[in-house]
Amino acid sequence: MIIKGGIVYDPANGIFGEEMDICIENGRIAEDAGGEVIDARGLLVMPGGVDAHSHIAGPKLNTGRIMRPDDSRMGTEPRTGVCRPSTGYTVPNCYAIGYRYARLGYTTAFEAATPIIEARHTHEELEEIPIVDKGALTLFGSNWTVMECVRENDMEKLAAYVAWGLRAARGYGVKIVNPGGGEAWGFGSNVKSIHDPVPHFDVTPAQIIRALAEVNERLRLPHSIHLHFNNLGRPGNYTTAIETLELLKDIKPSRMRQVVHVAHMQFSAYGGTGWKDFESKASVIADYFNQTDHATMDLGQIIFGPATTMTADAPLEYANARIGHQKWSNHDIELEESSGVVPWVYMRKMPVNAVQWAIGLELALLTKDPWKVVMTTDHPNGGPFVNYPEIIALLMSREKREEEMKTLHEVVRSRSTLPSIEREIDWSEIVIMTRAAPARILGLEDKGHLGIGADADISIYNIRPDEIDPSKDHAKVKAGMSRAKYTIKGGAVVVRDGEIVAAPQGRTYWVDAAVPERDMDRMLSSLKEKFERYYSIRMSNYMVQDAYLSNPFVVRAGVQPLKEVI
Amino acid sequence: MRTITIKLPQYHGVPVEAERISPDVLSGLSIKEISEIEVWQGNRRLRLSDIFLISGDPDPDRPENTRIVLEGDLSKVKRIGESMSAGVVEIIGDAGMHAGNSMRGGTLEIKGDAGDWLGREMRGGRIIVEGNAGNYAGAGYRGERCGMRGGEIIIKGNAGAFLGEHLCGGTIEVMGDAGDFPGCANQGGTIRIHGHAHLPGAEMVKGSITAGSARVLPSFAYEDIVELGGLTYKKYVGDLVENGKGELYVASGQIGK
Repeated sequence: MIIKGGIVYDPANGIFGEEMDICIENGRIAEDAGGEVIDARGLLVMPGGVDAHSHIAGPKLNTGRIMRPDDSRMGTEPRTGVCRPSTGYTVPNCYAIGYRYARLGYTTAFEAATPIIEARHTHEELEEIPIVDKGALTLFGSNWTVMECVRENDMEKLAAYVAWGLRAARGYGVKIVNPGGGEAWGFGSNVKSIHDPVPHFDVTPAQIIRALAEVNERLRLPHSIHLHFNNLGRPGNYTTAIETLELLKDIKPSRMRQVVHVAHMQFSAYGGTGWKDFESKASVIADYFNQTDHATMDLGQIIFGPATTMTADAPLEYANARIGHQKWSNHDIELEESSGVVPWVYMRKMPVNAVQWAIGLELALLTKDPWKVVMTTDHPNGGPFVNYPEIIALLMSREKREEEMKTLHEVVRSRSTLPSIEREIDWSEIVIMTRAAPARILGLEDKGHLGIGADADISIYNIRPDEIDPSKDHAKVKAGMSRAKYTIKGGAVVVRDGEIVAAPQGRTYWVDAAVPERDMDRMLSSLKEKFERYYSIRMSNYMVQDAYLSNPFVVRAGVQPLKEVI
Repeated sequence: MRTITIKLPQYHGVPVEAERISPDVLSGLSIKEISEIEVWQGNRRLRLSDIFLISGDPDPDRPENTRIVLEGDLSKVKRIGESMSAGVVEIIGDAGMHAGNSMRGGTLEIKGDAGDWLGREMRGGRIIVEGNAGNYAGAGYRGERCGMRGGEIIIKGNAGAFLGEHLCGGTIEVMGDAGDFPGCANQGGTIRIHGHAHLPGAEMVKGSITAGSARVLPSFAYEDIVELGGLTYKKYVGDLVENGKGELYVASGQIGK
């Protein structure tokens, strides 16, 4: 297949809007090729989108679907010759997730939080998400074994547990959510700072985060630790964010990437002492990112209208339910985590929501290096991912931001710096924030760029970058980005003119990390005791079996040299 | 006024999705075009004339000048008058589920009984039922936080359970009795039940419910005897479970305290 005459943006390979042809052979970008010719003359062409943080599979999704039959009414689409029926807006059914990503031109999406014990369910849902390649990050932040290893300062054992946990969950990376807080919540409390000890474990969040970061690098995992800060969602929490990032400054990355990826930064960039004097501290956070190089972030931009919050941060969800007088679900996940689900509505005239909206945009606009920023809505916590084109339009047009701000509560002008920000992001930076950066941050070498040998995941939009001025024509940008003219996944056309034309099964990425056998044996003997004494299921029923991943893609890592694996 | 008559010659066991039978959709169409409108019966896609006999004034008109008369046993014909904003729909017989749902204006008259979900989530207009109504009249659909927001529903017979659940506005009047939990989670609407109401106003925070007699929940606080329109009522406030300020008036029956 050859894509002819497109205006190509491939910033990872130094291509910033050049007219060129792209050849595809056997699902990969090639030097030359024959076969089908796609006429993309003058159209915007870029690598397929990569979502590094989205909640798309697992029991919390189903909890959301069950408690929100009202949501399923919002997005019903009948089946077609190719597609199965779609339902839902904030918590769509599995099929809709795949179709909607593909229509946006996205070809990869990573589920951001799965407890090991729930991983089988996560994979059952991932299997039913068509088209996109996917993976799931595994939760370790409030896990008993992790905390015991940290207390004993036994990093070999912790490395063995993380490697085993990723294998058990067929997980891709280390996710940490409100470390220690999930366990403290089991006793009706929370950790209030990164130095507040977890009840009964005598370790602090700071120790947990640092230990997992060190082990992450010891195991040479493709992705860094992926961190949801303590105190997330609370006024004044920007100090916790910076304090936590400072903890990790001296850790050496084992690969060419960050040491820590901060999940949905927007929710941790809050100033003020309460909701009344709530304000944006995005400029402080962005300054920190501008001065350091060990951290990356995704935005967690909010979108006005309905959302469904779902997180392993159960105390936060309890607070949300109380604030919003909403129906709610809260869950204790055995020795591993807690979690909660609460429906939400972000309102334009609500001061806090207006400022939250501004914070996400400020973070993207004030952080100078786009490689440190991934555009997300923390789907569906800040709003559904189908709104990414709205964010793209906002980032590219100051005029659109001004128009939007007129419809919001006036505090958006006094409690954020957004009105004074002139920067308008260009196409190259959009491609970095939605493709190149998330792929690099996740350690997906064959994604996010169009170099020879890369996966032939490509999106082509009905947008002529040489003719339109995104600053003025923001409505065209939004409309064009909402319905890809072509989405090509692994060399196959899956979307044509905004409609799904094929729905192949994507791959599921997971990381197989090798550790010395003696460490693994030592870890397993203490873990077996946990299963005997505490877990509700047996160890033999705990592991996700190969049968649950019909199209796995195993990334090798580990403390041992890689040569023995291949 | 343009009259369109739609007759159902025989009873259908398989439900018909008739959301397009509304003045907003039909008023601007000729009789021939109306006959060709697509409807679903179960999993079959049919034309309206495959199921109904259609006649009436041929010339298109505006919705507010349109009267649609339905005849026959329409108890399995669902969603008649969905989202209608003007005009009149008259059903001579029973109506199926979801009649007048999301209605914004106009009048829906049902000479027989109405099915479940009558006028659910309606915003405006008027529904008059000569017979009984099923469950969830004026309620919000599954999971919704707001049911009816405006308009008026008059039920001359009895109403089923969960009458006006999550009511956010508007008025519902029932001449007969109401089933379990009328006005459940009421957030600002008005319900008048002339007969008996069983456990009205559970989780109610605002609005008012008046009943001829009622089994009152223990989470309502008795306040006083008050006079309304020449009659005396016991006034309760609740639901205290939700810190509610809803008003419940009961003409007779047991006193809570």
